[in-house]
Amino acid sequence: MDKRIAKADDLNAATDTIVATFDVHYRHYLDPKGQLIGEAPAFAKDREIMLSLYRAMTLTRIFDYKAVALQRTGQIGTYPSCLGQEAVGVGYASVMTDKDVMFTTYREQAAQLWRGVTITELLQYWGGDERGCNYAGPREDFPVAVPIGSQATHAVGVATAFKLRGEPRVAVCALGDGATSKGDFYESINLAGVWKLPAVFIVINNHWAISLPVEQQTATQTLAQKAIAAGIPGIQIDGNDIVAVRQVCGEAMERARKGDGATVIEAFTYRIGDHTTADDATRYRKDEQISAAWKIDPLARLRTYLGAQGWWSKEDEEKLIAECKQKIEAAVAEYAAIPPPRPESMFDHLFETLPPALAWQRKKLMGG
Amino acid sequence: MKSFSLPDLGEGLHEVEIVNWHVSVGDNVVADQPLVSVETDKAVVEVPSPYSGRVAALHGKPGDIIPIGTKLAEFDDGAAQKQEDRGTVVGMMPEAETRASDAEQRERVSGARVKAIPAVRALARKLGVDLIAVDPSGPDGMITADDVKRYAHAVAELPAEPLHGVRRAMANKMMQAHAEIVPASIHDEADVESWIDKGDVTVRLIRAIVAGCQASPVLNAWYNGQDMTLRMVKNVDLGIAINTDDGLFVAVMRNVEVREDADLRDGLNLLKHDVEARAIPLEEMRGATITLSNYGVFGVGSRANLVVVPPQVAIVGAGTIRPRIVAHNGAPAVRRTLPLSLTFDHRVATGAEAARFLRAMIDSLEGKAKP
Amino acid sequence: MAEVTMVSAITMALARAMQDDDSVIVFGEDVAKNGGVFRATDGLLDRFGSNRVMDTPLAETVIAGMSIGLAAQGFRPVAEFQFMGFIYPALDQVINHASRLRNRTRGRLSCPLVFRAPMGAGIRAPEHHSESTETLFAHIPGLRVVIPSSPSRAYGLLLSAIADPDPVMFFEPTRLYRAQKEEVNDNGHGLPLDTCFVLREGRDITLVTWGPTVRETLAAAQTLANEGISAEVIDVATIAPIDFDTILTSVEKTGRLVVIHEAPRHIGPGAEIAATVAERGLLSLHAPIERVTAPDTVVPLPRLEKAYMPSEKQIVDAARRVVNFS
Repeated sequence: MDKRIAKADDLNAATDTIVATFDVHYRHYLDPKGQLIGEAPAFAKDREIMLSLYRAMTLTRIFDYKAVALQRTGQIGTYPSCLGQEAVGVGYASVMTDKDVMFTTYREQAAQLWRGVTITELLQYWGGDERGCNYAGPREDFPVAVPIGSQATHAVGVATAFKLRGEPRVAVCALGDGATSKGDFYESINLAGVWKLPAVFIVINNHWAISLPVEQQTATQTLAQKAIAAGIPGIQIDGNDIVAVRQVCGEAMERARKGDGATVIEAFTYRIGDHTTADDATRYRKDEQISAAWKIDPLARLRTYLGAQGWWSKEDEEKLIAECKQKIEAAVAEYAAIPPPRPESMFDHLFETLPPALAWQRKKLMGG
Repeated sequence: MKSFSLPDLGEGLHEVEIVNWHVSVGDNVVADQPLVSVETDKAVVEVPSPYSGRVAALHGKPGDIIPIGTKLAEFDDGAAQKQEDRGTVVGMMPEAETRASDAEQRERVSGARVKAIPAVRALARKLGVDLIAVDPSGPDGMITADDVKRYAHAVAELPAEPLHGVRRAMANKMMQAHAEIVPASIHDEADVESWIDKGDVTVRLIRAIVAGCQASPVLNAWYNGQDMTLRMVKNVDLGIAINTDDGLFVAVMRNVEVREDADLRDGLNLLKHDVEARAIPLEEMRGATITLSNYGVFGVGSRANLVVVPPQVAIVGAGTIRPRIVAHNGAPAVRRTLPLSLTFDHRVATGAEAARFLRAMIDSLEGKAKP
Repeated sequence: MAEVTMVSAITMALARAMQDDDSVIVFGEDVAKNGGVFRATDGLLDRFGSNRVMDTPLAETVIAGMSIGLAAQGFRPVAEFQFMGFIYPALDQVINHASRLRNRTRGRLSCPLVFRAPMGAGIRAPEHHSESTETLFAHIPGLRVVIPSSPSRAYGLLLSAIADPDPVMFFEPTRLYRAQKEEVNDNGHGLPLDTCFVLREGRDITLVTWGPTVRETLAAAQTLANEGISAEVIDVATIAPIDFDTILTSVEKTGRLVVIHEAPRHIGPGAEIAATVAERGLLSLHAPIERVTAPDTVVPLPRLEKAYMPSEKQIVDAARRVVNFS
């Protein structure tokens, strides 16, 4: 696509000069039928890498089904399904290093699981227990940001820290299509641009911000082009294409690591589930749209590809599903066995040291 | 019910093995949603749902080999069951049946009000002073610490004797009456010159009260102020106020409306005797429907606002019989008259009802009505 | 030891903190090259360089949000917001993130940051530059609010705020910036947070205040002293969490309390103080607690500024009423 964004008013064509034009590219490798288009990156031919990606996506999906079921039986609270978005999260998380730091909304279970957040921790958080954010694994990753887009500002703060210390680390910030309407997003990409910060913003365009379809979210032709307003590159990818996600995100992270600044990546996908378990998406969208989304399912196409390479059999599939289910059941049992938080723990982490006035309140709560 | 059979997956396959179901019975699915993974010779393939709808039944389990054309799943006819609108996007918010107004209470609660700041209240408590009794000298009727101290000092010089027995009971009873009753009184007098020398005053008073109850039955009743219910009583159980050295007793003469004069006189004597001997049983002090206080026997007083004791709604007071200058047949005359006071609870009875009662009493006492 | 104004004392504190701790960085709008619109960061860029003193784009939300990211990574950011009236876009980040990051990660991540902003009326500034809305912040659990009232206390409290492991809102009364000079010892010693300062001892009445109204309150105390009323003046300094022990001890002694603040009356911090004293010190009181505050109106434009701010006369009148109550 090579469109001139700045359209000169025809009447003034004689007097105006074009002072800036911009391009927004679209990249994909693995089509919905599981076939590689064109020249694929090397890792697409790497059996171990591709299988690890598929396993992670499968675990995410099975976990997601389980989580929805747990909410329905009252074992966890309101839960936002990530069904259909498994490729984006696994894709970008898989090219982060241990030293990079991740910022997400609340629908990034795929990335969280790859980064080492445990299933039990996820259940704890969605079950309503702050201890679920005290990740044993990725100690520096931020917990999910519920106020939309607010995590972008934290990401640029962390990216600033990396830059001030001269570290080859990247702040990776995932947000949704709705978030690109927020001031937090614009302010953050603007700062990332003018300060040339090592940050990557992955705009996960799953088409919906609760009930608002992305066509009603903004007048821009792409979300990626919002990067232009910040003076940084923006690129679109098929977010259900694990190869494209991993490749393009990897490129952006390398750019950042080298000191070349930030990138915005718009990843197309689809939110097959409801906004949360309390939402009823049938109120605002039609079954036909969901059907169309299933046709571009990230898992199906990857499975087909793996099979075509001769890397994946029925036994492998059965074994993987059984392993995932067992892992999840074990985590559910572990979660259920955790003693509930004590009321006084509400006071435990307000400040490093609890001030006397609050210590008094804490004591009263405990019946003292 | 729509059923779905395993379609021909091509490449000359006759059968496949079920690997994994992606949906469960009862799920709402949309067309193209993966239903089941099956294994062909070459690969694991997902079979998409042909319809949108609710899964009614699934056939086969993982590991089963099924031929092409076998029924795989069944769907409920028609559109997928609409799930109930939860009306929220987070959390749970079931709609309740309770009415907001049920929890609200409109009972009026009254209490005595004294104005004093907390430190003064604490001081009063410490000194054993009842703030009600203290004269305030502070702004806007506020009791100051000095007021409390002054009072405490003053009462310290006087011996304080707690009330006992009948006096205590009277104090409680009167307080309760005061808190509940809304009293109003009508006063008048009956000309008794014609019979005073030979009649039994008390008995005639009782007869007159019966006449009054017949004229205004509402004054012979019990009233419950809490639930605002009135019980009209058919019989007249008359409370007779009897004074002793120990205090005031009110003994009850039952069914005075059906008793003969002699019986009434005997009854009165018996009551008086028992009261003075302190031998009167408790039930005989309970259950009066209306009371008579013949305070005139003390020789003084011609009108009195007496105390109606709940649940009664009226009390009749009879003052001192003495000669008075009255108008008689259009000219001044000296006649002996009997002053009557009727105090009634104005929550229950109207002035008219009270007036009718008193009229009937006077008519009875003046011989104008049948006794 | 030089005699310095409050704003210079603030600069001294910032420089001292940055000198003693490499992780302290300063940023905000116009703070580097220009030294801050009130010169609070004057000279810091030259001294510490552009890696530690930075001009940001005009974007309060990201200034606050990036502070959180930096703090979580081990820096101690001191971000300046040009006026309290312009800090509100940052409220989302302050309330939804800074105040609760430690809590929601059970201590895994935390925010040792300071947000500075000038506050209050009295310099005849245009609209929106004269706010006293510290209550908004004081109401948020997990957040400290500190308001200095003198050059030496500004120095000491700012040092402690920067050293504190948790987020601190540090609001500086604009009309005190240059109003007084005081000897400030640049010794790097912080003053305690969460602590009241008894500025004047007295027997007859307790006057509790902070920030801009400390001056008027001290003047009122002097006027009252001339009438034989001995007033104790307490500077609350940390508005959240409040040191109630000092206040209660004072009220136990005097039995009378007036709270003075420039924040509007309704649900101002004075209400919290009055409620707590009523709750825990009721039997000491000989008179109702009074509050002398700005009215519940929008801060007026400069022509009515004087009528809006609590005056010495109002404080004296309130104190007399309370003393003469009973």
